[in-house]
Amino acid sequence: MKVMVNTGTSVIQAFYEKKGSTLKDEYRQSAAVAFMDLKDMQKLSLKSRDKIKIKSEWGEVVLYVDISYDAPHEGMVFIPRGPWANIIISPETYCCNVPTYKGIPAEIFKTDEDVLLVSQLMNKVYNKYNLDDDKLTDKPVYKKRMI
Amino acid sequence: MIEKPITDYDEEVRNCSCSYCGNNCDDITYLLKDKKIVGVRHACRIGASKIINDQDQRLLNPLVRNDEGILEETTWDVALDKTARLLYESDRPVLYGWGETSVEAIKKGIKIAEKTGAVMDNQSTICHGSSIQAFQNVGHPVMTLGEVKNRADVVVYVGTNPMDDHPRHLSRYTTFPEGFFRKNGRKDRTVITLDPKYTNTAKVSDEWIQFNMNEDYLLFDALRMLLKGESLDEEEIAGVPTSQLENLIQIMKNAEYGALFFGLGVSQTLGKQKNVDMLIQLVEDLNRYSKWSMLPMRGFFNVSGFNIALTSETGYPYGVDFSRGYPRFMVGETTTIDLLNRREPDFFMAISADPGVQFPGYTIKHLINIPTIQIDTHWGPYTELADIVLPSTRVGVETEGTAYRMDSIPLFMKKVIDKPENCHSDEWILTQLYERIEILKQEEDN
Ligand code: SF4
Repeated sequence: MKVMVNTGTSVIQAFYEKKGSTLKDEYRQSAAVAFMDLKDMQKLSLKSRDKIKIKSEWGEVVLYVDISYDAPHEGMVFIPRGPWANIIISPETYCCNVPTYKGIPAEIFKTDEDVLLVSQLMNKVYNKYNLDDDKLTDKPVYKKRMI
Repeated sequence: MIEKPITDYDEEVRNCSCSYCGNNCDDITYLLKDKKIVGVRHACRIGASKIINDQDQRLLNPLVRNDEGILEETTWDVALDKTARLLYESDRPVLYGWGETSVEAIKKGIKIAEKTGAVMDNQSTICHGSSIQAFQNVGHPVMTLGEVKNRADVVVYVGTNPMDDHPRHLSRYTTFPEGFFRKNGRKDRTVITLDPKYTNTAKVSDEWIQFNMNEDYLLFDALRMLLKGESLDEEEIAGVPTSQLENLIQIMKNAEYGALFFGLGVSQTLGKQKNVDMLIQLVEDLNRYSKWSMLPMRGFFNVSGFNIALTSETGYPYGVDFSRGYPRFMVGETTTIDLLNRREPDFFMAISADPGVQFPGYTIKHLINIPTIQIDTHWGPYTELADIVLPSTRVGVETEGTAYRMDSIPLFMKKVIDKPENCHSDEWILTQLYERIEILKQEEDN
């Protein structure tokens, strides 16, 4: 199904972000969510907390779905800002320094794939250090040493 | 869910300053037990979440990536030397962030940028940058929040939802408090919200004016026409019935003291800084009839401080490029997202900011190829991409410092509890880096 994506701050996502618990499931549950119009959800036979894959020109990511509180118009999806939303938003600044966070055309599909935790997501999408996915969890991974 | 009041504490520290949003509430009380914060009074939910935050993701020691790509604890000397050398040897470094640190640290940052020919940029580049451009285009009538509290009888919010983003804005400054000339608080004020969405702020306002998304410019222009006594042929402008606009302009014209606040809804939608230009001109026109002023709703507690500090040092508010040895500022050219999209930088340092949360994926992809440094208090998405991590302290909690509220009032934020043993303030870290860069430079000169 074709949709228009808007991203922005949500209080709940901001709450966990500032609390400093971005690696944990509670942050994933608050930020890796596509808030949709109920009618759109019915079209894809989606229930709350089912999973979708969302694809834009810039990338694709798996998210939970939930019913939007603001009951937006059909065809509109809201995703709280964060590492998941970032993957599909447009970097285009139109020479005005601000990337395009709102109004991104995208397509959504129902899926059974997993919604990744922050550490796994960053490793999978950017793969800077080529780490072993199984070792990445909801805790910081680092080596201690005696100083 | 009702939470029980906290009674188990042994010390109360009053008049602390919240270090989250641009309201900079400085009436916060911290409740301590055994020198640890166990409770917070007066702060809103998000402010409190930042003050009593989780410590299990706290960065406690400097970290450097080893050969396997795993972060490994190290000494300050090793981490600082490495960072200084990488920065010194790079051609196009970017120093980004600064929204959640003190002006004292920012000043140190500017010195480093000058010395290394770096680009100095903050979160304005992804939020209110376009508002600042508009202010530089046409100027803007300013006010302080204290004036609003004591004088304002009409308060207008455009494209902003403070009930969620700046939760105490209405209760502490604009709507509910009793003021010198507004003895009855809320009863003496008219609050109007203009927003495409029925936000929580709209819900507590006297009137909600719903207009079409991306038609801000049209709407403000129509209001200016009405103010000048022209009549409109259309029955509806930007989705708002003309009669409703006529009514609004009457209220605004007859205000004794009007305060207008606008948010990213205005400056990030189609038209960007031009929308703000138009809004400024509306406020200017209103001043022929009454006293009106305006303010952008700034996000972090010190984004405004960065713009002020950088403007006073260089003449430009953000995205300042020192690569030619003198400051240059060019929107779309010397600004972080554009630089990263063009794959230009060869060094990136984020100070109290998380690009992993804030930047588009395409933009972040450049950070895979260049050295990335993090100075922050908590492990976040950006840590997963950082080569060196320098653990810092929280301003207003563990470190003192100055921050500028959204209305450009500087506020001193005090230190309340001790920092974790091996963490250092941003100011300390940047001073150390500066000294090391000086030495590298001297070595090269000899
Ligand atoms: S309104 Fe802003 S400054 Fe005030 S307590 Fe809440 S987050 Fe902190």
